[in-house]
Amino acid sequence: MGLFDLFKGPTPEQKAAQAEAAHRQADILMSLRANRPPASTLQRLQDSRAGKAPWIATLSPAELMIVRSHGLRPISAVSATSWLHYGWSWTEGHAQGWGLALERLKAEAKAAGANAVLDVKMRTVPLDIESSMDFTLVGTAVYVDGLPPSHDPIVATVPALEFVKLLEADVVPTGIAVGAHYEWMSDWRGVASRAWMGNIESNALSHLWETVRHRAHAQLRAHAKTQGNGVLAHLNFSQMFEREGGENQPKQYLARHIVIATTVDARRGQPFKHDVQITLDVHAGRSPLNTSSRHHQSYQTNEREGAI
Amino acid sequence: MSGQMPEHARERLKGLRSSAHSTGVFTSDFSVNEFLLVRKAGFEPIGLCVGTCVYHVGIQYGSWSKNQELDVLSKAMYHARELAMSRMRAEAAAMGADGIVGVKLTIKRLEWDEHLLEFIAIGTGVVHGDGHKGFRAHDGGPFTSDLSGQDFWALLHAGYRPVEMVMGSCVYHVAHRGALAGLGTAGRNVELENFTAAMYEAREIAVERMQFEAAAAKAEGVVGVDIHEGSHGWQTHVIEFFAIGTAVLPLEQEIAPEKIADPIMVLSVND
Repeated sequence: MGLFDLFKGPTPEQKAAQAEAAHRQADILMSLRANRPPASTLQRLQDSRAGKAPWIATLSPAELMIVRSHGLRPISAVSATSWLHYGWSWTEGHAQGWGLALERLKAEAKAAGANAVLDVKMRTVPLDIESSMDFTLVGTAVYVDGLPPSHDPIVATVPALEFVKLLEADVVPTGIAVGAHYEWMSDWRGVASRAWMGNIESNALSHLWETVRHRAHAQLRAHAKTQGNGVLAHLNFSQMFEREGGENQPKQYLARHIVIATTVDARRGQPFKHDVQITLDVHAGRSPLNTSSRHHQSYQTNEREGAI
Repeated sequence: MSGQMPEHARERLKGLRSSAHSTGVFTSDFSVNEFLLVRKAGFEPIGLCVGTCVYHVGIQYGSWSKNQELDVLSKAMYHARELAMSRMRAEAAAMGADGIVGVKLTIKRLEWDEHLLEFIAIGTGVVHGDGHKGFRAHDGGPFTSDLSGQDFWALLHAGYRPVEMVMGSCVYHVAHRGALAGLGTAGRNVELENFTAAMYEAREIAVERMQFEAAAAKAEGVVGVDIHEGSHGWQTHVIEFFAIGTAVLPLEQEIAPEKIADPIMVLSVND
């Protein structure tokens, strides 16, 4: 049973496998540059779409149930990766990296003949290599019964249940928007640290934070505008560092802010048609009704400190 | 799927239980809710099934500057998991179970030897209350699934039944960059295409293998797929891509999409 038997092959077969691997890698590299899915992935997606190979869904059975009852069919799990080296900026690399991965995910979904990708999760592999990071997106490509394949499949970072909930409310989740900004501040007059004073705002640092956050959010708005008319579900990540300046050099401060959100296309003033029943959950401790799974593991966010 | 089980089914079940367990006691790792939902779905737990395998993993080093699958390690992970799973399944078959629900597959490193890994598969064997054999896997043995009791109920109500827990694995060595490779990229953010390509290939291999297993089990699709990465204490550039899910088939009497009940939205007023 299983593939293990395949491994027992004699040496000529292993040689063939090596040649095949080399060929596959060359194809992957070429395909990445041309922004199209690699040939082997393409074949698998098309087989799944045509019913020649089993479909693959990252959806839970409950999600499968809802997705089916709303006329959506899973095709295949799709994924995309972009591995960036930060020669220039860590912060801006994040906007770049997720942007690139998003484009690739869309290309894969398009090749699968999908209308949408649901349940898109952001992942990062824990291989700490030379000031670089991978930006990986994994989700499930679906098609809607009766609709033609989309030229521009939508990408929803929400789980399938929430996707359907949004669709029912006439809101279409469309993609991911990213805003990332950082700034260095050189503290020539030593105003950032006010250790000798009483209660007083550190204006310089406040100002630095304000600027960085505003710019990141402005960028988010600009990026979101190309995809929809609103964003939901912010993920905020921010850090501030102090660096000693050395002899005759001022202290420097780095502030960075990254914000990532799900973009939606919503019509204004459209009420939600479902009745909501009020229940008293007798569950002790945290109610399972209130929990939802995390959709990324790429940022150790300061969510608990209170995001914006 | 009626909640009431006929009396003769109960009698029959008693027989099944006592043939597997002299005490007539069933064992399971179900929570109360899981237990109730599995029974709501028309099944009865009969006993906990366990398969274990302690495996010595061979050594393989990838060449420094090459992206490649480490097939010795891939094979080891595959073989050991396969052994644990098939032992669990054999135990279930011996009990007369129609399937195993809530399979948990764990890997543990044994502390005194870095090459020894312990694989444990554990789940609850269940039988259909009416003695319906249509839920068995394609080979007539018990189905396996990593779905919880709740998910099992939901899957049947989505019009599908579990066939086999399928997985694909690929242990991969990501190439190192040469010492001078960094020079050209100072001051720019550039994509490390080699690394990206490595991720693509490793993931593709894992997913293909999982899909292959599903096709071999004659399944229509795979639900609850998790594609993740892990490292079991290998060198820094070695990573395992692992795809796992439950292969499913439509029920004998398919449920039309329109027949699936709409869920009710509730607002918990607890806090």
